[in-house]
Amino acid sequence: MKRLFLPIAVLLLLLSSVFSVPFAQDMEAPEGTWLGTWPYTLPPDHHLNAYASGGPNQNLGNQFRGMVELTPAFYMWASNEYVGILAETWGFVDDNTAYEIKFREDALWSNGSQFDADDVVTTYELGRLAGWTQFNFIDVVEKVDDFTVRFHFIDGEPSLVAERLLLKDYIVADDTYGEFAVRAMELFATEADSESEEWQALLVELQEFRPEELIATGPYTYSLDNVGDAFLTLSWQPNSIYSDTVNFGELKLWAGETETTTPLVLSGEIAHATNVYPPSTIDTFVENGLEIVTVPRGYGPAMLFNLAREPWNIREVRQAVALVIERDQNAFLTNGFGASGTQFMSGILDSMTPSLLSQETIDQLDPWTFDTARAEELLESVGYSRDGDGIWADADGNTLSAEWVFPQDFVDFAGATQDAVAQMNAFGFDITLRALPWQEVPPIIREGSFDLSVWSWGAGNVLASRHFRNPVQRWVTELSDEQPGLAISLTELELADGTVVNLDEMINNVNNGLDTEAHRVAADEVALILNSEMLFIPLNEMLSAEPFNTDVIAGLPAADDPILRNPAGSDHFVIWMLLNGQLSPAG
Amino acid sequence: MASTFPVDDAPILNDKVTWRTRLADIRRSFVFRVIWQGILTAWAATTFTFFLIRLLPGDPISIKTDQLMQQGYTLDEAANIAATLFRYDPTVPVWQQYLQYMSNLLQGDLGQSISSAGTEVTSLILRFLPWTLLSVGSALLISFALGIILGTAMAYWRGSMFDNVMTGIASTLSGIPDYVYAIIIIIVFGVQLEWFNVGEMRGGVDPDIPAGFTFAYIGSVIQHALLPVTTYVIATVGVWMLSMKSSTISTLGEDYINVAKARGLSERRILFSYVGRNAMLPLVTRLAISIGFVLSGSVIVERFFEYPGLGRALTIAVTTRDYTTMQGIFLVITIAVIASNILADLMLGWLDPRVSLEEQA
Repeated sequence: MKRLFLPIAVLLLLLSSVFSVPFAQDMEAPEGTWLGTWPYTLPPDHHLNAYASGGPNQNLGNQFRGMVELTPAFYMWASNEYVGILAETWGFVDDNTAYEIKFREDALWSNGSQFDADDVVTTYELGRLAGWTQFNFIDVVEKVDDFTVRFHFIDGEPSLVAERLLLKDYIVADDTYGEFAVRAMELFATEADSESEEWQALLVELQEFRPEELIATGPYTYSLDNVGDAFLTLSWQPNSIYSDTVNFGELKLWAGETETTTPLVLSGEIAHATNVYPPSTIDTFVENGLEIVTVPRGYGPAMLFNLAREPWNIREVRQAVALVIERDQNAFLTNGFGASGTQFMSGILDSMTPSLLSQETIDQLDPWTFDTARAEELLESVGYSRDGDGIWADADGNTLSAEWVFPQDFVDFAGATQDAVAQMNAFGFDITLRALPWQEVPPIIREGSFDLSVWSWGAGNVLASRHFRNPVQRWVTELSDEQPGLAISLTELELADGTVVNLDEMINNVNNGLDTEAHRVAADEVALILNSEMLFIPLNEMLSAEPFNTDVIAGLPAADDPILRNPAGSDHFVIWMLLNGQLSPAG
Repeated sequence: MASTFPVDDAPILNDKVTWRTRLADIRRSFVFRVIWQGILTAWAATTFTFFLIRLLPGDPISIKTDQLMQQGYTLDEAANIAATLFRYDPTVPVWQQYLQYMSNLLQGDLGQSISSAGTEVTSLILRFLPWTLLSVGSALLISFALGIILGTAMAYWRGSMFDNVMTGIASTLSGIPDYVYAIIIIIVFGVQLEWFNVGEMRGGVDPDIPAGFTFAYIGSVIQHALLPVTTYVIATVGVWMLSMKSSTISTLGEDYINVAKARGLSERRILFSYVGRNAMLPLVTRLAISIGFVLSGSVIVERFFEYPGLGRALTIAVTTRDYTTMQGIFLVITIAVIASNILADLMLGWLDPRVSLEEQA
């Protein structure tokens, strides 16, 4: 027996090392504090329920929620590919009727529980209860095995939109929400609809649920005790698959928006911020030795026309407007070096146009380069001439006069508007400005009670259809029947050559199916129409000019690093570089 | 003279007469009328606020929807998400919402926050109210005391260099909005001169110090209140100085002051016992009214210092169109203003009995 003891002991030791989970090893929290900012709210507004407003979804934002609740994957915009975070493999099943994700088996929650398919199923069944968009594309969420989940598409129709949603969702803990998920599944089994009393009662109960702790898959977590009046602290936890790669022991997030974070950036309390700072503030940051890293914002300001009102219903007038606004200047006055004048005028952000359109189509696009002589020709071709005051007027003496409504508290859109109006008036338009609080501008656009306005165009998305929809579909077909919006029919749009197209349907179909070449062909057609019709003018494309304090943070990517093509938002490069330890405390 | 009533009934009648008379007396009384007017005003202000808030362009769901669409969601998707996040149905007619709100209000229920589903508005108010009371309340008292002292001195030595300089300072201070002082304090004294650490002074208290009646905690509370209080004092002291000066000058012309001087009383005694007390009376009334505005007088200052008061909560509620939270905070402000007005009326009636008698007549 004594002779057997040693081999048995060795065998047991080996087995325990193989099968034991790496639970709360002897890892120590790394040193150093990340000094960031996010406009979170205070408890009791702030709570830890992911399925109610006021939870981590809005209080951590895309950038920091990804530090506590991991997503299946992260998207690299330069290479157009996903890289796994919680997911090990992912993709459409052979007949494309479902999407399947196999998750990593070594992932743990902060409370030591194993991360598995039950967590994913819980996340989505409660998402179904809450009315998540994903259920416009999928119907059944099937647990294939402990670490594999299959999402079945409605009617077997595959969707790239759904793929992105599924790979970018934050997975929550079954330990926290499991009981609700069980009750939700029991409810769904009764075939209750979302309007039923039972459904609504369970939803209310879920929204009123207040978890006491945030069980995290990410390398950081927090409790409400960590939510201070001035800053919120996310603390390192040892059980994440990224616990041994991150280099900061805590993430300190200062509360506040642009005006309140500015002094903290200057005083060194904030080492990285994603707020929109005016050009003069950016200059001051540079003078104070801060590095400015620019990434795409995923949108820019667009000049919107009320297309039912004269003269904006005349194509040539809109084209003339495009020609009299010098867009590089407009970009500078929008956000300093944090914006660039639109080049391609394709309806897709310039940063994405080369990858989403064919080169042949790009060559055909009219860049509408600043050219007042060409603008004059266009206006004269439709019966306009200058009056005694130099203002353009038609044969009846009606001048090119209008009011431009803009959001006064968006410094970028306000800057773009004021410059565009100044340039138009210098050419001979007669535009007056009307500033309003930002919350009041969208209702005015929706109601169609405006001549000219400004709102965003483009999208922080990899699909061309998502770019095209903003602003034309957003302010036309996506409105209710009583809301005219831009006041034009996209379903029966008459082009310059007299042909009538259903632009709405064309945009909707751009990304149908999984054939990317077919997507490109469909996108080419839409881009050419938007380029010639000038239903809106994409003034510029904004960049997020983000100050970094290199006395605090080391490891910033070089200006030509492909990861900087990722836009701000849920694909922000900081998320990836923090998780993988590429960013670290300086010194 | 023979009574026309049965003898036994006489006391009952007398009781009735007494009861009615007392009721009529109460109804005619100054206190009753002031309180009744206060209740009516509170109802009218609450109703007005309720509808005014809903006339603001954009509702909570449409604003959240706009924010989500900015991130690339379609309208259907964004509206869907917003509707599930928020507990608010914009399709319910406003009058129904009003009746529901008033019904709940009468039961002491201010409802749940729209922007934080499941969170009671009452708990929000209780969380933030003490901080505003502490900062703006103490600032008001400091400002009042300073204004009284300096204003009295300015009036007493009117025409002197001291008066001229202080009048100029007071006029300048009262003409600049409080948020400008907040910005100057932060940027000039905090960032440029580095007199204090900008980050450390934010919020209501150092989160690393456990809450309790300890020196450390109370010290931290005072330290964090210092900048908002200073800002508020600088922005308001000028008005008190000028008001006190004006009131004192009119008091100085009274006969009893000349008599006091003729009696050879010391300047100090005349200043404080004769002039100060009497000149302060109208300002005390004004102070009582100002106390009501304490809750609303801190919106922008709290935002700059990230001070966890009602002003900061109100700013967020307005931005997100959180109707129920806005209504709750406005209700507290309304009640405070009305209560302080009632207090001022009653104080005036107590200090000057002619006021209540004249009104009854």
